[in-house]
Amino acid sequence: MTNAVETRGLRRTYALDRRAKTGRSEVVALHQLDLEVAEGSVHGLLGPNGAGKTTLCKILATVLLPTEGEVRVFGRDVRTQTRKVRRDIGIVFGGERGLYTRLTARQNLHYWCALYGLRRPAVRARTEQLLERVGLVDRADEKVEGFSRGMKQRLHLARGLAGDPRLLLLDEPTTGMDPVSARDFRSMVDELRREGKTILLTTHDMDEAETVCDVVTLIDGGRVLAAGDPRSIGALVSRHERVEFDFVGPVAETVRDLLDLPGVVGCTSVSPGRHRVETADDDATKAALSLLVDRGATALTTSRPRLEEVYLKLIGDRGMAVR
Amino acid sequence: MRVFTASFRFQCQLLRRSPGDLSVLVTAPFFSLLFLSMADQAHRSALTPYAVVAPVFMSVWSMSLFVAGDLISRERGTGTLEGLVATPASLSVMVIGRITAAVTVSMLAFAETWLIAWLCFGIVVRVPHPLMLMATLATSALSMAGTASVLAAVFVLVRSARIFQNTLSYPVYLLSGVLVPISALPEWLRPLSKPIFLYWGAALLRDSLSPSDVSSPVGRLLAVTALGAIGFLAGRLLMHQVLRRVRVLGTLGRT
Repeated sequence: MTNAVETRGLRRTYALDRRAKTGRSEVVALHQLDLEVAEGSVHGLLGPNGAGKTTLCKILATVLLPTEGEVRVFGRDVRTQTRKVRRDIGIVFGGERGLYTRLTARQNLHYWCALYGLRRPAVRARTEQLLERVGLVDRADEKVEGFSRGMKQRLHLARGLAGDPRLLLLDEPTTGMDPVSARDFRSMVDELRREGKTILLTTHDMDEAETVCDVVTLIDGGRVLAAGDPRSIGALVSRHERVEFDFVGPVAETVRDLLDLPGVVGCTSVSPGRHRVETADDDATKAALSLLVDRGATALTTSRPRLEEVYLKLIGDRGMAVR
Repeated sequence: MRVFTASFRFQCQLLRRSPGDLSVLVTAPFFSLLFLSMADQAHRSALTPYAVVAPVFMSVWSMSLFVAGDLISRERGTGTLEGLVATPASLSVMVIGRITAAVTVSMLAFAETWLIAWLCFGIVVRVPHPLMLMATLATSALSMAGTASVLAAVFVLVRSARIFQNTLSYPVYLLSGVLVPISALPEWLRPLSKPIFLYWGAALLRDSLSPSDVSSPVGRLLAVTALGAIGFLAGRLLMHQVLRRVRVLGTLGRT
């Protein structure tokens, strides 16, 4: 499989205002970043605020130049083959901005489609197709300023698809969306994947990344911390399966017996009355489950470490701080 | 050309939704009233063509400056500037298409002035050279859009470029002989008038309203077109350089 995106030693810095007197002349947004996004995949980019996700999207969208390093989109250099790269990409920035709110959805899309050099009949056809796809046909002639957040975001997605791009960059597209709109949005992403489009999605939402992404890359401080399949990336924090259970009453004896089982490597309390056993293999899991059923444990579940745990483990809980 | 026409149509749609942006069409009749009153009061009928042409060119040029300046700021404000730059279309062509639309709409100032002259002063402005009038208005509109695109490029780089916008209005009207004959300017200042396309355009427009033959019409139309083309090329070159610069600095989308 070829790569839709390839970065090698990508570095991007921003000059700081000298008047700010921070003692630094520049801030590093991306630090020797190496990244590969396979064609046809949905690739999640996870990281806290200031990690460099939007900077990377902007470089791939050609609105920002790399300071150092190589960046290729479908094998084309973003520096020297800018116009060709632009034909292959669509970008959707999150948030309320990015649309002409005094115009209708149809007028917005007509213009964006025309900017990709389509003739008028093709512009009209593409616009109708996009409105249909994002479910805005019935509201197409209403001004965008009256749209809900979810409708605006669907129009954003349609705008990003105006040029029928091979690579779609989605920069935190579900921020501020209600759960139903976010779910609809994810199903649209899934549809696009089935059509063979490559999607690079930046998000804070672990569930979103786990649900829609084939591969996730965790970045922080402009560096890649980890990358892999969101369902197996949990191995980075633990290779073990876990069994969680509720237990009413003294649990010490049960814990001791669990730890005596071969293949059980740990047992911790995760919340009052709820506990987690970590096992090294399937046999140990079966034995632990059997013992817990015998002792009257309830609400038993088995799972692998979730992406959220990996995120918190690698990036840490830094509250509101931004690097 | 597709991007130009799409941008032209798009700006017309925006203007329909934002009638406040057409304020020049409100001020043009007042300017007409004022200038025609001054010519009438002074009993100088020779100044009547100036009183008719000046509000038209002032409206159209001020509209092109306004749109050129505001277009980039508004795109930044709505968060669409980065999206526009990320398309394969040339930002210069988009800008020129949109300024041309605004300029074309503001040509309605000519009809307003004509009506003011007739209704308030009983002056029926006749057009003995209609083709010349049309050609002058068309070349002047394109030249204004081309020249104003330089300003749009400056706005991409400098967010507080409003000062340029102001500098290029009244001093230019006076210098180019739009408002008063250049014979009223000091001798040493007059050579500065000719490199301004407005000088040629305004003179041609006045001549197209005069019964006598228009002298060297082709040469003068070419002068308007050539000066507009220089403006267009300068705007395009500057836009290219400026976009490269803001992509290096990372300031393209900053509001």
